[in-house]
Amino acid sequence: MSDPLSKQATASEIARAVMSGKVKAAAVVEAALTRIETSEARINAFTDVVADRARKRAAEIDAGRHRGPLMGVPFAVKNLFDIKGLPTRAGSKINLDGPKAARDGSLIRKLEAAGAILLGGLNMGEYAYDFTGENAHCGPSRNPHDPTRMTGGSSGGSGAAVASGEVPLALGSDTNGSIRVPSSLCGLFGLKPTYGRLSRAGSFPFVDAFDHLGPLARSVEDLALSFDAMQGWDPDDPVCTDRDAEPTLTELNEGIGGLRIAIAGDYFARGAEPQALEAVAAVAKALGASKTIVIPQAAAARAGAYVITAIEGSQLHLPRLRTRPQDFDPDTRERFMAGALLPGAWYVKAQRFRRHYRAQVQKLFGEVDIILAPATPCTAPKLGQVMMKLGGVELPVRANLGLYTQPISFIGLPVVVAPLQRAGGLPIGVQIIANHYKEGAALRVARHLEKEGVAAAPPA
Amino acid sequence: MAEDKPDIARLVDEAAKAIGLPIAPEYRANVLANYERSLAIAQPLLEVELDDELTPAPVFRP
Repeated sequence: MSDPLSKQATASEIARAVMSGKVKAAAVVEAALTRIETSEARINAFTDVVADRARKRAAEIDAGRHRGPLMGVPFAVKNLFDIKGLPTRAGSKINLDGPKAARDGSLIRKLEAAGAILLGGLNMGEYAYDFTGENAHCGPSRNPHDPTRMTGGSSGGSGAAVASGEVPLALGSDTNGSIRVPSSLCGLFGLKPTYGRLSRAGSFPFVDAFDHLGPLARSVEDLALSFDAMQGWDPDDPVCTDRDAEPTLTELNEGIGGLRIAIAGDYFARGAEPQALEAVAAVAKALGASKTIVIPQAAAARAGAYVITAIEGSQLHLPRLRTRPQDFDPDTRERFMAGALLPGAWYVKAQRFRRHYRAQVQKLFGEVDIILAPATPCTAPKLGQVMMKLGGVELPVRANLGLYTQPISFIGLPVVVAPLQRAGGLPIGVQIIANHYKEGAALRVARHLEKEGVAAAPPA
Repeated sequence: MAEDKPDIARLVDEAAKAIGLPIAPEYRANVLANYERSLAIAQPLLEVELDDELTPAPVFRP
């Protein structure tokens, strides 16, 4: 059990300590604000700190006004979430000229209703079109395990803030891998839920077909705790499911008995650096999984995700590309411009293929419950690195960090990333992929790995 | 085959005109490079054959 005021404390430990009266929410908030002040020069995770708001909320909690399972837990959000009174940056300079948010995004409201305390907005790749965590306007978020390296993106600040222990919990978004990539490179547990499971209302969109929101944390219990608090239908997001919430925390420690677990071969075993495949092998061994399966047409799925992303994302930004191209991050601008010109026939084909691919993968889930795959093909690249060698081939970093995440979010499957510490090296994550709406199963597997000492976030 | 390769520069310039997207000279080379990269990345999708009955995934519910 960590000291609830320390940077090692998990959200669950803090909530228990505040609930039992062992520590005041105000003290938790002050400790977190001090850590933010100390760490920011090194990791550049926060773009906005809402200290006054957090102190006011903490005082209300200490006065007994808000109780809940996340009581007193400080958290922060990728700056594409609406934060009342602030412009919703979404990693851009342009949006700073936009309106100030009239209210908080839906998931912020849900976490605060459960007793959590928002500390601020976090750095991210511009308009979420990014796997690196770099940002020309605000500077890159830096990997706490080696600040000369990338956090991964686009939820880079979310990765840095949690991995450094500034906050125990952060929210990110994941369109093609933007929660899973920083979870892997920063050594965190991350949850990309089923598409439509959590409301996206009050967040700046990127690609409606694939946009997901979810948590990053240093323990599996924290993922389950926050995920459960955020579930539920929301009429403000047309994609949000009207299924009943399915709590995961209560079954978290039920183990992996009865779960059929397989390793993704073929596409997911090609082009990765040895450490990525070693991590999958270590996880598979700990789970007693030896069966390898092939997710058919994964390369086409990745291509389809790329095409839909480029065309939808570019269409969204076309008015700004026309009028304010000079205000874009140079690393997104020309990709958006090129995407705006791609043939419409590609988009429709990708959507048609998506339905076919979904049916093929659904068949696989008749044979297995969980599929293991690398989260990233490598550990954190150096900041500013443009090319990297994967499987002996020189490839662009930006387009390829999400090689293994894109074919999964393409059809909205839920994934938990479990981080592995490597002796003397940087962390790397493994994707634990479940069938739609089976977040609970993926979380149980991650919890089993955590209990067995196989998966863990490196100390903050 | 080389002769089947589209003239990316012309394609980008004309398509940009058609949708009213000005591309400043200093951005053009990188837009062309990205368009070229997109062609390569999209290839596995373009090679897939789909049944006529396969309609797109999104469902619009009025």
